[in-house]
Amino acid sequence: MPVRAEVTVAADQRLRHAEPVMGTVFSFDLPAAAAPVLPAVLRWLHWVDATFSTYRADSDVSRFGRGEIRLADCAPELAEVIGECAVLSERSGGYFTDRPGGRFDPSGLVKGWSIEHAATMLTAVGHTSVSVNGAGDMQCAGEPEPGRPWRIGIADPLRPGTLAAVVAGRDFAVATSGTAERGPHIINPHTGRPATELASVTVVGPRVTSADAYATAAFAMGPAARDWVERVDGYEAFAVSPDGTRWQTSGFAAYAAS
Amino acid sequence: MRRAVLAFGSTVAGLILLLSFRSHSGTAASAGVSAAPAAPATPAASPSAAGGMAGGGGKSGGTTSGGTASGSKVITGDVINGPYGPSQVAITLSGDKITKVTVLQHTDDGSNSQEIDGNALPKLTAETLTAQNAKIDAVSGASYTSAGYIKSLQSALDKAGA
Repeated sequence: MPVRAEVTVAADQRLRHAEPVMGTVFSFDLPAAAAPVLPAVLRWLHWVDATFSTYRADSDVSRFGRGEIRLADCAPELAEVIGECAVLSERSGGYFTDRPGGRFDPSGLVKGWSIEHAATMLTAVGHTSVSVNGAGDMQCAGEPEPGRPWRIGIADPLRPGTLAAVVAGRDFAVATSGTAERGPHIINPHTGRPATELASVTVVGPRVTSADAYATAAFAMGPAARDWVERVDGYEAFAVSPDGTRWQTSGFAAYAAS
Repeated sequence: MRRAVLAFGSTVAGLILLLSFRSHSGTAASAGVSAAPAAPATPAASPSAAGGMAGGGGKSGGTTSGGTASGSKVITGDVINGPYGPSQVAITLSGDKITKVTVLQHTDDGSNSQEIDGNALPKLTAETLTAQNAKIDAVSGASYTSAGYIKSLQSALDKAGA
């Protein structure tokens, strides 16, 4: 049997945990004192996976998408997610959508929304130094140690293993969409074809639910995303083009790490 | 609980080690939560072809394993079972700095598998080292194509208290 080590930790020690869920890995960087709360957060993430998965025929999302059950019969969180999708779709001129392939599929929102909720579950009970990272998109609360902001590297999509930029901040979110590893997989909903005009787009701002959806929309939009994100309140973007040229919105410099 | 003999090669030095370890079949639930480094365990076995470095026995449940050689410490991550087979990494620490990430691979019959994730693993290794050197807390847009790799790496970092 595995031996579970019972250890006493000092208050300033960090707890790091990686959890495979939703087809990817969520990692947590928390105060060690958050250990008693973490299992509930992990259980919630697996519940979200079971409820929102489009890969499970019996999930609420699958059954709702097939018209077998009404929204009122689903977990109430589905209505919340659909509401968020509607807002973000409108703000992005339809470049973000919960019908990316023509069928109901809110997966593009659910991951970011789950990251944000997981972080909130931890901060709501008083933990002020929290980072929740879902496959490279993250919500960061407070600071990792007193006096230091969170420092987040942005992977260079053209030179794997190196960073294109480093951003720093407190109480902020970072999300990146790109083709580097998975190839073209974000469909421009207005053309029905994979978006290829950018290599990656990173969006920073207060909430990862929005940052993640905006990054997806910006990637689908291509170079026009620069002017669009300039008009989005509270969010900034950094992009790498396939030819290696880079651009960023006017407020992005405020996040640039020294 | 089953025992397996694991053969693995270092991506950097071509180091071949053999060690016996206890693997566990669980994925998410059994991984546990590591809050702090526990007392180092004695490596189960550590004959080394190249000499000078010993790998630790990977023990499930979030305890520490490790070996030392000339001031550096090798910490072996948990074996993580994924869709393409088990993944396991070991990190080499010099002080609190990661100097090497070694990909350990094996299949259920104990033989090496070279097909797991192809070139993704070296990229991930490079990213791990880059992140370490840049003193950053996380990477956005990183190529987390191998969940097992990341989870095993994380478990090694947890054990190291890094």
